[in-house]
Amino acid sequence: MSVVELPLAVFIVDDEPPARNRLKDLLTDCAEQLPLVLVGEAANGVEALDKLSEVQADVVLVDIRMPQMDGIELAQHLNKLHKPPVIVFTTAYDSYAITAFEQRAIDYLLKPVRLGRLFEALTRARTAVPVRSEVLQELTPEPRKNISIHERGKILLLPIEKILYLRAELKYITVRTAEQEHLIEESLISLEKEFAARFVRIHRNCLVAKDEIEGFEKVAATDSSDAHWAVKLKGLDELLPISRRQQFIVKEFS
Amino acid sequence: MPEMRIINQNITPDALPNFRNLGVALRIILIVNAAALFAVLPQAFSIQDLVQHMLSGSAYLQPALLVCLLLLYILNKFIAEMTYRRAALLILALVASVSWAVAQFAAVLFDPFAESSVFDSLRQMVLSMLVTSLVLAYFRLRAQSLSPALAAARMQALQARIRPHFLFNSINAVLGVVRSNPKQAEAALEDMADLFRMAMADNSELLTLKREVDLSSQYLALEQLRLGDRLKVDWQIQDMPQDALIPPLILQPLLENAVYHGIEPMHEGGEITIKLYRSGKEMHMEVRNPCQPRIKGHSGNKMALLNIRERLALKFDLEAQYNVDAAENYYHVHIQIPYLREESK
Repeated sequence: MSVVELPLAVFIVDDEPPARNRLKDLLTDCAEQLPLVLVGEAANGVEALDKLSEVQADVVLVDIRMPQMDGIELAQHLNKLHKPPVIVFTTAYDSYAITAFEQRAIDYLLKPVRLGRLFEALTRARTAVPVRSEVLQELTPEPRKNISIHERGKILLLPIEKILYLRAELKYITVRTAEQEHLIEESLISLEKEFAARFVRIHRNCLVAKDEIEGFEKVAATDSSDAHWAVKLKGLDELLPISRRQQFIVKEFS
Repeated sequence: MPEMRIINQNITPDALPNFRNLGVALRIILIVNAAALFAVLPQAFSIQDLVQHMLSGSAYLQPALLVCLLLLYILNKFIAEMTYRRAALLILALVASVSWAVAQFAAVLFDPFAESSVFDSLRQMVLSMLVTSLVLAYFRLRAQSLSPALAAARMQALQARIRPHFLFNSINAVLGVVRSNPKQAEAALEDMADLFRMAMADNSELLTLKREVDLSSQYLALEQLRLGDRLKVDWQIQDMPQDALIPPLILQPLLENAVYHGIEPMHEGGEITIKLYRSGKEMHMEVRNPCQPRIKGHSGNKMALLNIRERLALKFDLEAQYNVDAAENYYHVHIQIPYLREESK
């Protein structure tokens, strides 16, 4: 063991100021026995993502019930960081999440948090492995409100309602908004499942936003393809082909 | 503490209705006339015949009914203080004498030389008492079916207090300020104690509006500790009648609803507006909170709101109104109840 252990870098996310105070008090108490440093705090998920792309944290204490972006969605986005931190959830009460945590052996702290429990969780954090994104997704019945895109070392949040279509291309998925295209590394099948309320599959490799469908056009046969239907989306000139198997949606949506 | 004095309003299942309530009077008139209609129905051969029967019956029935209602209106307070059994007997006796008197009077007026006036008066008297029993039975059943609402309200208030979300978050908030601001922590614990006391108290009585307002501010102070600047409250109570009496736990659950469903899910928070005022003989309570569009309804606390409605119906019948305006980005509850004051008994 020649490596000198750096102090554990801890970050707090909670929407209630007194709750953050309480954790800070307890961290001060823990610091007497466990070298640690508080590297920052945030009042919501968006703020947390913003700050955490600047500073490196080893452990993030995340409240589950928060406005705008809940703790579980935040954890999913944090997993996309270059070195994902270990996440310890905190909750006053949320029977659904607690049973889910128990089943998957995910560490969580009940508020009011006890000093001993926090100490335990922090000690374990050094050796803990981040919870996988698929597991996190199972934890919540709610789909994410944003897709996170990794661009130039930063995390960019894209609200789901801005996305017009998702198209799988080789290794990546193209996310198309009215203005831009982005690339993400997720599976189209799990995206289709998670956002079934917003998107419909028109082709083996393509999901389009139901609300953004402007109309359908018949495309005449060319050398490379047979005659087929295509979707025209609001604000996009591009026509997206519908596969033979998915042709029923022409009737359903027009 | 004069404003803490409470007046017993008898909402036990056995209680007789408040005969000064418009809704109650209307119900009595409807039941009695419906009974009269059923009584003449078998005798009638045609519509004209039916109308004829009703009209000739009415000449006797309506005056007797109105005199009874008037007497009950006058005697209401006196009756309310009696036991149920005695009050019911008194009412029966009252109705019997009124109908006897009206029948005798009618006999003299229409047919002074008829022989059977004694039999006729007796017949009317028995019929009236029968219908009166029917009316009394109806009110008793109604009171019994609505009265669990009161126990339920207490239960719900208690459950709302002990609701893990409220309880643990509040305790956590107090722990959060205990080191930095012990005074604030003390105040918060005192507020919590008062809220629990109210929820556990026997709440069958009316209490002053002032008291409910105090309790509601204590509740909001606790939430403010947690939510900080996100929770803003606009109390428009300069025209509030200090001495007005209202059923307990009407305003506070509305505010709880507004905080949980309105303010908390909003990142930037919002302002709850509370408006209390009197206009003429009515007391108005309005609570308005912003809410996020696209949030899946206000189903969470429907129970509490439904319960407030039931209790108002039991207490004030038609004289209470409960209106909800649930728009895309705000939620507005408007309650109107009769203005009652603490009386010097």
